[in-house]
Amino acid sequence: MAKIDSSSPPAAGPGPEELDDYMSMTIAEPAKPAEKETYTQRRIRKQREAEARSRPKSKAELAAAAAAARDDALSTALPNSSKGFQMMAKLGFKPGAALGASSNPNARTEPLHISVKEDRGGVGMQNEKKRKFREEVEGVEKKQRAEEGGYRERVGKEREEKRVEGMFWGAMRVLEGLEQPEGRDQVPVKKVNVLWRGLVRERQEKERERRARYDLHQGFSRSAAYVDPEEDEQDRQALGKEEEDVEEEDEELNEFLNLEGKERLKRLVGYLRKEHQYCFWCKFKYVDEKMEGCPGLEEDDHD
Amino acid sequence: MDRRPDLQGQGRFKRRKMEDTDSRNSAESDDDGGVKVGNFAQPTEVKPKKEDLDARPSRHTEGIDQLVEKTSKRKRKKEEDAEEASDPYIARQHEEPVPKKKELDPRANPYLAHRYEEPAEDEGSYNGYSNGYGRPTNRMNGVSNASSLARFPRHKSTAAMAKNAEDGPNNPFSGQPLSSQYFSILKTRRNLPVHQQRDEFLQMYQKSQFLVFVGETGSGKTTQIPQFVLFDDQPHIQRKLVACTQPRRVAAMSVAQRVANEMDVTLGDEVGYNIRFEDVTSQKTILKYMTDGMLLREAMNDNNLNRYSTIILDEAHERTLATDTLMGLLKEVAQRRPDLKIVIMSATLDAQKFQSYFNDAPLLAVPGRTHPVEIFYTPEPERDYVEASLRTVLQIHASEPEGDILLFLTGEEEIEDACRKIRLEADEMIREADAGPLTVYPLYGTLPPNQQQKIFDPAPPPSKKGGRPGRKCIVSTNIAETSLTIDGIVYVVDPGFSKQKIYNPRIRVESLLISPISRASAQQRAGRAGRTRPGKCFRLYTEGAFKKELIETTHPEVLRSNLSSTVLDLKKLGIDDLVHFDLMDPPAPETLMRALEELNYLACLDDEGNLTALGKLASEFPLDPTLAVMLISSPEFYCSNEVLSLTALLSVPQVFVRPASARKRADEMKSLFAHPDGDHLTMLNVYHAFKGPEAQANPKQWCHDHFVSLRALQSADNVRQQLKRIMETHEIELVSAPFEDKNYYTNIRRALVAGFFMQVAMKEGNSKTYVTVKDNQNVILHPSTVLQTESDWLLYNEFVLTTKNYIRTVTTVKPEWLMDIAPTYYDITEFGKGPVKSALQRTIDKVRRKEATKGRKR
Repeated sequence: MAKIDSSSPPAAGPGPEELDDYMSMTIAEPAKPAEKETYTQRRIRKQREAEARSRPKSKAELAAAAAAARDDALSTALPNSSKGFQMMAKLGFKPGAALGASSNPNARTEPLHISVKEDRGGVGMQNEKKRKFREEVEGVEKKQRAEEGGYRERVGKEREEKRVEGMFWGAMRVLEGLEQPEGRDQVPVKKVNVLWRGLVRERQEKERERRARYDLHQGFSRSAAYVDPEEDEQDRQALGKEEEDVEEEDEELNEFLNLEGKERLKRLVGYLRKEHQYCFWCKFKYVDEKMEGCPGLEEDDHD
Repeated sequence: MDRRPDLQGQGRFKRRKMEDTDSRNSAESDDDGGVKVGNFAQPTEVKPKKEDLDARPSRHTEGIDQLVEKTSKRKRKKEEDAEEASDPYIARQHEEPVPKKKELDPRANPYLAHRYEEPAEDEGSYNGYSNGYGRPTNRMNGVSNASSLARFPRHKSTAAMAKNAEDGPNNPFSGQPLSSQYFSILKTRRNLPVHQQRDEFLQMYQKSQFLVFVGETGSGKTTQIPQFVLFDDQPHIQRKLVACTQPRRVAAMSVAQRVANEMDVTLGDEVGYNIRFEDVTSQKTILKYMTDGMLLREAMNDNNLNRYSTIILDEAHERTLATDTLMGLLKEVAQRRPDLKIVIMSATLDAQKFQSYFNDAPLLAVPGRTHPVEIFYTPEPERDYVEASLRTVLQIHASEPEGDILLFLTGEEEIEDACRKIRLEADEMIREADAGPLTVYPLYGTLPPNQQQKIFDPAPPPSKKGGRPGRKCIVSTNIAETSLTIDGIVYVVDPGFSKQKIYNPRIRVESLLISPISRASAQQRAGRAGRTRPGKCFRLYTEGAFKKELIETTHPEVLRSNLSSTVLDLKKLGIDDLVHFDLMDPPAPETLMRALEELNYLACLDDEGNLTALGKLASEFPLDPTLAVMLISSPEFYCSNEVLSLTALLSVPQVFVRPASARKRADEMKSLFAHPDGDHLTMLNVYHAFKGPEAQANPKQWCHDHFVSLRALQSADNVRQQLKRIMETHEIELVSAPFEDKNYYTNIRRALVAGFFMQVAMKEGNSKTYVTVKDNQNVILHPSTVLQTESDWLLYNEFVLTTKNYIRTVTTVKPEWLMDIAPTYYDITEFGKGPVKSALQRTIDKVRRKEATKGRKR
């Protein structure tokens, strides 16, 4: 009686004594999902339903049920099968027509609407509440929608900024290669073209960090901020503790770096073209100022 | 407590055999305390059956009611008059204005008048008896005066002629010398706005059968126009009457009194009134103020309204059910009676609607005498209109100059509550802020008349000399909107709500619901502030809400009512084509459908829609068909005395009083009367106890002690008397089972089923909710019920809609009774699948099993 075969109709035929159908049924289930339930499931469901029925309904539930039944009945017209209708039909009444003189424009076809006042709100309060609620809902929705749109936009913008920033660094490196092909660090930072000075400073900062970490590892337990009162300024300079003051205000660089990424890139690209006849987009150094073969100034021109 | 009443004097009726063919008249004289001669001379008695049943002054002895005393005095006087009038000597004096041939007509004999009442309408308008006079009796004793009026060309008179007659020296109608009071009133009357247009009115009135007259409050239309009509129409020569209808009983009474004073006659003589249960008219009456319902009742027995030469429908803008029905009827009657003139008077400006309804009748508008009223709106909608209105009233009291306040609220409880709160706050203001004294009066329909009268008391004087002036504040339902005029009101506070009856045929619920008023209503309310001087109206809603949320005019009652009673009336009025009956605002067809269906189930109409014998009988009672049918079938259940009491109790306001200050005590007292099977039987217990010797020794004290309303019980008593008279007339037996009979109460419950079988609810499962049979509405018991017996089936008097669906006034019944007494309605095949059907099926099975076992035993 083991019906492992999932294709056979499960458990419908066998008598109720076959409790072991349990197995076959569960296996059969995937074949007809949600159509059949196990004995246990059914038993539980029935039990739950019975409980729901026997449970005294809460006042709110009762009120809701009563209101639903009322609204339902209020919106259902009396059937044409009623005795009243038949009597009226004998007097020439047609369904959908109104009573009274045929020319009367005041005749009603629907009964008056019933509305029960549930609070002491003044005239207009109900609608005011509805209006406020509607506005609130609309407001929330709008905000959500606005935020949604903002997110996408922002992410796109951020990605674009990142890309531009990447290209900016790339362009700086190109320019560095063009302007200082032989070795680095030979020119004082402040003398470096502001367009790629950022690159130099970045490199120096990284270097300093590396050194500090190295010192840490080497056991010089001296904090960078520690100032030995014995040492004078020259000593310190000599010991390399106070090389150049990189942190010192570099107005020019800061101003440049505060520009938007696009602008910085634009200036860099422009400078590369003008001074080095190099097109950042073509990745090519042209021979003369005409830069023949380059499709244009913008990235879009190079698609 | 002895719950059994002493039925003597009101129950246990010994039927007296009627010697006369006209049983009605005999019935009248029956309890008339011996004065019989006058009976036939009574105009109302010779005429329609209906009317005397309704209109008779109450003469029962139990109630020591002043009104009753007064009426009986009047009655006696009338009877003397009648005798006098029937004196041939006196009669000769009246020859002049009376067509000669009438003098010898046997119809003139008041003792034979009843023989001639029926053919009246066939004889055309000049038969001379259609107004019910037993004989020609206009009492124009002063010859000179008689001629002064007699020279009036009928329907050709002018204002100047009327003025001449009014100036005396003798009363143009009674011939008596006119009093000085008359002349002083005459002076003020001539200052009324309508007086300026008397000629204009007369010309229009003479030219057209219908006339629409629009006069704002204060124009004097209600008192003056009927008098204008009298002078021109001269109903006394026609031996007819001028009728002026009012939607309210109180208005009919008070206006009649006022006009009687203006005409310098005794109320009940030339000028009288006729309201349900009270007829203050005589054979001299030429102008009759009456409720619109009364005129409708008269029309049922006199389809052409032959008694009247002119009918004035006043306050037509109120659009009561009776007024609307009358308007439809008058449109038809006017075609059959070209001599009948009809004046429609309205206070609002939607007169065009009336005009076009009455075949483009001419319109005359008279401005009211009102002062400008400044209107204020709130900037924001109010969260709580009651709280806001209290605040506004107190603010007016604190900061506005002298002048009384009128606040509109919705119902008794709300009004009493507001009054209490205003008094408390005002006392504090007087103590702490030196405000002037403030007296607060409630005003609503169920308030005893002597308390209603208090609103006319003058405002209190300043508490000390030179102190701030006092004022009164009246907190009223919309009674004060049109019908009652209170002078001195300068400030009106209008929260914009009123309690309105609403009916829906789909769930068959007829309830009073608090609803926003209409713009027309709001305008009326505001107008109340400008009666004496320029006033202010504070509307507790925004101007935007006024324009957008309020409907233009209040829906007429015909759209808000169950029409089964009206359908029965219309059938009785001889109108068969109900579908095309020309109402001004025809209701939804479903309303008529439901009404016809209900009447068919009640067996008042057959399947063709014709009035059955039961229907004819039911229409004789001024009751809802449900109650009428219950009453008529009650002898079958051996309890017509009890059902009669119950019917009366169900047609008056709430018997039980439950003041906020003593709820617990009131409930305890109620439980003394409680019958475990329900509220109907409990009410009956109260009535029986009330009629007992202990209570009758001092009814007022007894009612006070037991928290029941003396007024309601007295008026139930009154209604009972009237209904009893109708039952006697139609030979419906008054019977009772002995109180010891174990079926005494069961009989009554079964009799209830005979009328109320369409108002039954069945218990749902084991919860506290019930579901109404056929409409399947979930309902719960109203908290006021005394029901103690667990029962699956309940019969209810009312389905009340509030935030919850309640059934109120319930009694337990058995499904067997339902199927036995109302087999057509409880035909099981007509029910859809559901708990009700299965319950009925179970009952059928049970009954069958029982019968089977019975049969086997035999």
